[in-house]
Amino acid sequence: MTLIHSPHLDAPEKTALTLGFLPLMDCAPLVIAKEKGFFSEAGLDVQLSREGSWASIRDKVLLGLLDGAQMLAGIPLASTLGLGSPQVNMITAFSIGLNGNAITLSSDLLAEIDGFGHQPNDTSAAGLKQLINLRRATGRDKITLATVYPYSAHNYLLRFWLSDAGIDPDNDVTLTVVPPPQMAVTMKKGHIDGYCVGEPWNSVAQEMNIGNPIISGYQIWNNCPDKVFAVTENWHNAHPATHQALICALIQASHWLDMPQNSEEALQILLGKAYLGPALSMLPQPQLTQGNRIFHRYTASYPWRSHALWFLEQMQQWGQLKQDVDLTKTACKVYRPDIYRDVAKKMKILHPTIDCKPEGYHDSEWILQGNAGAVTMGSDLFFNGTTFDPNSCR
Amino acid sequence: MTTTQSQPERVLVIDKDTARSALLEQALKDQGYEVVCRLHDTEGLISRVEQIRPDIIIIELDSPDRDVLEHMATLNSHIPRPVVMFAETGDSQTIQKAIKAGVSAYVVDGMSPDRIQSIMDVAAARFREFQALRSELNDVRSELEDHKQLDQAKRLIMKHQKCTEDKAYSAMRKMAMDQGKSMTQIAKNIISVLEILD
Repeated sequence: MTLIHSPHLDAPEKTALTLGFLPLMDCAPLVIAKEKGFFSEAGLDVQLSREGSWASIRDKVLLGLLDGAQMLAGIPLASTLGLGSPQVNMITAFSIGLNGNAITLSSDLLAEIDGFGHQPNDTSAAGLKQLINLRRATGRDKITLATVYPYSAHNYLLRFWLSDAGIDPDNDVTLTVVPPPQMAVTMKKGHIDGYCVGEPWNSVAQEMNIGNPIISGYQIWNNCPDKVFAVTENWHNAHPATHQALICALIQASHWLDMPQNSEEALQILLGKAYLGPALSMLPQPQLTQGNRIFHRYTASYPWRSHALWFLEQMQQWGQLKQDVDLTKTACKVYRPDIYRDVAKKMKILHPTIDCKPEGYHDSEWILQGNAGAVTMGSDLFFNGTTFDPNSCR
Repeated sequence: MTTTQSQPERVLVIDKDTARSALLEQALKDQGYEVVCRLHDTEGLISRVEQIRPDIIIIELDSPDRDVLEHMATLNSHIPRPVVMFAETGDSQTIQKAIKAGVSAYVVDGMSPDRIQSIMDVAAARFREFQALRSELNDVRSELEDHKQLDQAKRLIMKHQKCTEDKAYSAMRKMAMDQGKSMTQIAKNIISVLEILD
């Protein structure tokens, strides 16, 4: 049962679609939209294709082998800027939820850090900084930390957390990339000392007794964005009604996923062999909302241009992006809240009327004036008390 | 880093499938490339690539290790970059063909688009050929398996009904026709029921 009614949308230009996903908790809106019939209600016949890497998802979307896909939020921005791939304009009009990540450190590393006598609830990287200094003084190897991809929220959250404690992520530690399913095993073998990754891979480390989260993504940035649903700009221009139908189904699926009474059924569906089965079977009690994951409320699926700007500023800060790139223009080109609003209007659901919002000002729920009433928003604090004030982007 | 004509490009093949990578290695050698290494296990991939310093890495498209290679490409210009970077200058058809066959490549800057095209063609052809071989083998295997099950079901009927082989077989055919099921399905059902009685 859905509480959102199916609107009358224009007939899709293309009905048989193939969408790509990676077996992570946040593929849920795609899986649920298919399995609970939201895609077919929207007149779409969708095949879901499980992919092996972000690189292959990106390539297949660029080449038209996939119509669209779940992506790290940085990928459509990077592709549009020609970073690490041919320059192809990509757009997103749908964010796949908020939160869900954490930074996990190995038990050995945590034991060494504990030796410095920090408070047990200290979530900063201050202890890590002390350990790095000590290791350097005694000629020991650098600490190695892993994320999942160069243009990922994980990479930026980890760098943000490290640099706040005075750790230079490019020189004081070795940053590497490990595919999420191999994270815990790689740490167990001692090849990495910690990582920033989405669930369930932080819980897996705890389950294996090899490490513990030191800080969650939510604690680093309350309700931070992570992934999006993206298509190429050309694909959107050729199939605007299909794109709207997809977003309509994904909004319905996200809304369904946020209802607590559905979480058990959602997990059962995700446990299917074609989806997350192998990963989740490693946990005695997998949870849909591990890591404060939110799919719909707090405008979790709205493609805030300010989120794009935060990612772009991170890219620039860490040298992935040249200084002369117009960040606001890029954010506006790639992130398309106008398309989302169009669909939301037809669905008669409440939505924001603005494209950007400042971050770091609310420590609890707050009210944003939407198109037809008040929209409840979540807290948006950064762990170090800083704020992010994007220039208004239009 | 550029390669001269006298020095063949040094290729690293990353493929869990040892049989397929052997086939690919031979084909690449025939085309005048030097296959410096075939990796089946990607543990410590970054240090291996740094050691080997290949001009080209051929890797299965869906390999999770592609994200590791992309990370290396952002760090160091001597590390091979995704070949899709050449899609704009070269022939995106080639890349598309290769990707459909499940192969992706990473090459160092400065390699001529012709050489990339030829290596992608070789790899795509071998990957496809191997795919065809594998599905043929699977067909043969499942035929053999079906045959075994029919035989087992027949024997169980003969034993329990104390009838001839012909009679057992025609009983199975009749069941298949009446129930609108395949002989293999009927055989499976018979085995699951009669095995309990055994």
